Amino acid sequence: MNAPLPSLVPLATLAPGSLCRVMAVAGEDGIRRRLLEMGLCTGVEVAVLRRAPLGDPVELRLRGYLLSLRRDQAALILVAVLGGDALRASA
Amino acid sequence: MPAAAAPVSLNTGTLTVALAGNPNSGKTTVFNGLTGLRQKVANYPGITVEKKTGRCPMPDGRVVDIVDLPGTYSLVPHSPDEVVAMQVLRGLRADTPLPDVIVAVVDASNLARNLYLVSQLIELDHPMVVALNMTDIAARRGVAVDAAALAARLGIAVVPLIGHRRRGFDALKAAIISATRPAAPAWRLPDPLAAEVAALAAVVADAAPETNATATALRLLAGEDGADLAASRGLDGVSAALAAARGRLAGRDVVQTDIEARYHWIDALVAATVAATPEAGRRSLTERVDAVLVHRVAGLVIFTAIMASLFVTIFWAAKPIMDALQDGITRLGALLIGGLAEGPLRSLLADGVIKGVGSVVVFVPQIALLFLFLSALEDSGYLARAAFLMDRLLSKIGLHGKSFIPLLSSFACAIPGILATRTIDSRRERLATILIAPFMSCSARLPVYALVIGTFFAAQGPLVQGGILLGCYALGIVAAAATAWIGKRFLGRGEVTPFILEMPSYKIPQAGEVARQVWTNTSKFLTKAGTTIFCLSILLWALAYFPRLSDERIVAIRQAQPAAVVPSDATPEQRQRAEADAQSASAHAIASAQLEHSVAGRVGHLMEPAIAPLGFDWKIGVGLVGAFAAREVFVSTLGIVYSVGEVEEDALPLHEALKADRRADGKPVWTPVVAISLLVWFVLAMQCMSTLAVVRRETGGWGWPLFQLVYMNALAYAGALLVYQIGTRLYP
Repeated sequence: MNAPLPSLVPLATLAPGSLCRVMAVAGEDGIRRRLLEMGLCTGVEVAVLRRAPLGDPVELRLRGYLLSLRRDQAALILVAVLGGDALRASA
Repeated sequence: MPAAAAPVSLNTGTLTVALAGNPNSGKTTVFNGLTGLRQKVANYPGITVEKKTGRCPMPDGRVVDIVDLPGTYSLVPHSPDEVVAMQVLRGLRADTPLPDVIVAVVDASNLARNLYLVSQLIELDHPMVVALNMTDIAARRGVAVDAAALAARLGIAVVPLIGHRRRGFDALKAAIISATRPAAPAWRLPDPLAAEVAALAAVVADAAPETNATATALRLLAGEDGADLAASRGLDGVSAALAAARGRLAGRDVVQTDIEARYHWIDALVAATVAATPEAGRRSLTERVDAVLVHRVAGLVIFTAIMASLFVTIFWAAKPIMDALQDGITRLGALLIGGLAEGPLRSLLADGVIKGVGSVVVFVPQIALLFLFLSALEDSGYLARAAFLMDRLLSKIGLHGKSFIPLLSSFACAIPGILATRTIDSRRERLATILIAPFMSCSARLPVYALVIGTFFAAQGPLVQGGILLGCYALGIVAAAATAWIGKRFLGRGEVTPFILEMPSYKIPQAGEVARQVWTNTSKFLTKAGTTIFCLSILLWALAYFPRLSDERIVAIRQAQPAAVVPSDATPEQRQRAEADAQSASAHAIASAQLEHSVAGRVGHLMEPAIAPLGFDWKIGVGLVGAFAAREVFVSTLGIVYSVGEVEEDALPLHEALKADRRADGKPVWTPVVAISLLVWFVLAMQCMSTLAVVRRETGGWGWPLFQLVYMNALAYAGALLVYQIGTRLYP
C-alpha cells in the first residue's frame, strides 16, 4: 500500500450515515491489535451510525455487529469514503 | 502437529471442560444450561477476576467440571479478565488444570467476529466443540448457519444452541464426550511471513518436539509475550533464529498480516456456511432500537428516566421492606433475649449481635433491588448504551463510560459499586472509579441527613429541607468529580485508554438469569460487607460497654435524679405513670453516664479538642466513633449519649434533646451552623470500614484504602472546619 491514496480520511471525521472502507489502521501496538482483532481490517466496510449525544463516542456497524469507539480511536482508522446512506441500507 | 480428528479418550479421571467465548456470546447461559444450580463462584487466587465453576452430569453417567472463563475477544489479552482466560487455556495457571475439552461459545448472529477467537483456539490443538449459540436471534435476522458444513470445515462438532431456552444441551453434552481435535489451521499467511514462520517453527520443533511449533513461531514473530513464550525463547537456537527472522521481516507488519489472514479465512468460511435471506439486508432490530435509545434527545431523556426510576426504586420501594425487616429483627431480638437477666451477655446479644445483624440485613432489600435493576439492564444490552451515552462526560474527568453504573450503585452502597468496577478494563480508570465511589451519598448516610435536617431545619419547611438534602448529594458528586479531575490532571499523564466497546444485540432479560444474578450478588454483599460490619458492631459494643460504672456511682446518679412529681390529687394510674417516667429517666441517665465512662466516651472526650473547631463536642465525637462501624450507627449512638433510649431517626425525643443541649457557657451545642458542618463531614468523610476492606481486596493492598481514608477525612475535616469557622462569624 505504498501508492498515495488521496481520498484517505480518518474514520473519526465522517458524518453519521457515511459508508466507508478501511484502508489502514494506525496507533500504538496494543490498541491497533485490538482494533484489527475486532474486525477493523483493511478492506472491511464500515457504516457510521451515529455519535453519542455529547458528540463522542461513535457507533459503527461492521461485519454485521455494532461497535462503539471514542473518536480518539476512530481517528486511528484511515478509510476511503464509499457513500452516505448507511442508515438505510446494510453494510 | 498431531493429525486432526483423533477421538480423545475420556475414560479416566475427572474431566475439565472450559467454556471460552467472546463477551456477549451468551457464554453464561450456556454455563447455566450445563451446570444448573451446581455451580460456585469464587475468585482466582490473588486477583479479583471471578472464577465460576460448576458440575455437569453427562449422559454416560460421569460428571465433569465446567470452568466458565471470562469473556475474551482474543488470546492476546487486554484486561485482567482476558489474561485469566488466556492463562487457563494455555495451561499457565497453577490453580486451574489445563482443560481436557474446550467449548467455544459462538454467537451465530455475529459469526465472523466470534470466529476470530475460534481461529486462535484451533491453534491450541485441544479437543474442542463449537457451541453455536443464539441461533434464534440469527434466524430472526435472516441468517441461517449450516452447522454441519461449519463442522466439516473446522474438523470439530458444531452444536446449534438456544442457550436461554435451554435447547440443544443434550447434543452439546454428547459432543463434549466425543470431542475431537480440530483440523490444522487452514488460513494461509502470505510470503515471506509464511516462510519465516515455517523456518522458525522448525527450529522450535527441533528443540522441543512436543510443542505446537507453528503457532508458537507465529506468536514469537508477532512479538507476543507470555510465560510459555519466554520458555520457548530460551530454547536452543530459538532466540537467534527469531532475531534473524525479525531482521528479514523488518518493516513488515506481522500482527496485521496474521489477523487479516485469519479474517480472510473467516470471510470465506462464512460465505460457504451462512445462507442469508433478504431479511439480512435490512437494518436489524437492535439498530432500529438504538436509533431511539441512543438518540441525541430521546436517548438522554430515556436514560434519565431509567436512572431516575432505579433511584426511586432503591429508595422509596425498598423503604417499607427495610423498615419491616428492621422491626422484625428488633422483635426477634427481644424474643431471643427476653429470658436473659440484665448483664454483659444480654447487652452483647441485644446491642452487639442483634444490632450488628440488623444493620447488615436491613440493606439487603435495597441491594437486591439494585441488582435486580442492574442485571435486567445488563441482560437486555442496555448497560453498554449507558456507557456509550455517558463516556464523553466521564472521560473529561478521567473516568470511563463504564464508570457510570458503579457510581450510580454507590448511592445505595459503595460496596456493590466498587465490586461493579470489575467491568472496567483499564486499571487506571477502574482505580479512579473505586477511589471516588465512596463520595456518593450512600443510603447509610440518609438516616444521619434525615436526623440532622429534620431537627434543625424543621421550621424552614420542606422546600429548604429538600434543598439541603439535595445539596448533600450534590456536594458528594462535586467532591468526586473534582477528585477524579485532579487525579487525571496530576497522576494520569500520558497514558491514553481506548474505548472499544461492543454494543450487543438487545434481548428480553431472562427472569431466571436475572434471579441468579440477584442471588449471587446479594449473597456476595452479605458475606463481604456483612462479616466486617458484624465484627465491628461487636467491637463497638465492647468499646461502649466497658469499663462499667461502679455500683456506688450508679446509686449516686439514681439519687441525684429528681423524684417522681406526683400531685396529691393524682389517680393511681397517674401516680403509676409518673413513677414509671421517673424510673426510665433515671435509667437513661445511668446509661448516659455509663457511656461517658466507657472507652468510647473517653475517646469522645479525647477527640474533643480536635473536633471543637468544627463545632463538635464530645457527644458528637462518640457518635463519630460509632459511625465507623456503619454510618447509621451515629443516630443510635447519639440516642444513647442523650439518654433518650431507643430512637428512630425521626424520633422526637432525640430532636428535643439535641435542641435542649447546652454548652458550659449556656449556648446551645447544636446550632444550624453545627448541623451544616456535621452534614459536610458526613458527606465527605470515609467512615466505613467495610468499604475500606473491599477496596483493599479490589486494589490488592492497603495503600489505596489508607490513601482514601486519609484523603477523604482530611477533606471532610477541612470542609467542616470551613463551614463552622465562616458560619459562626457570619451568624454569631
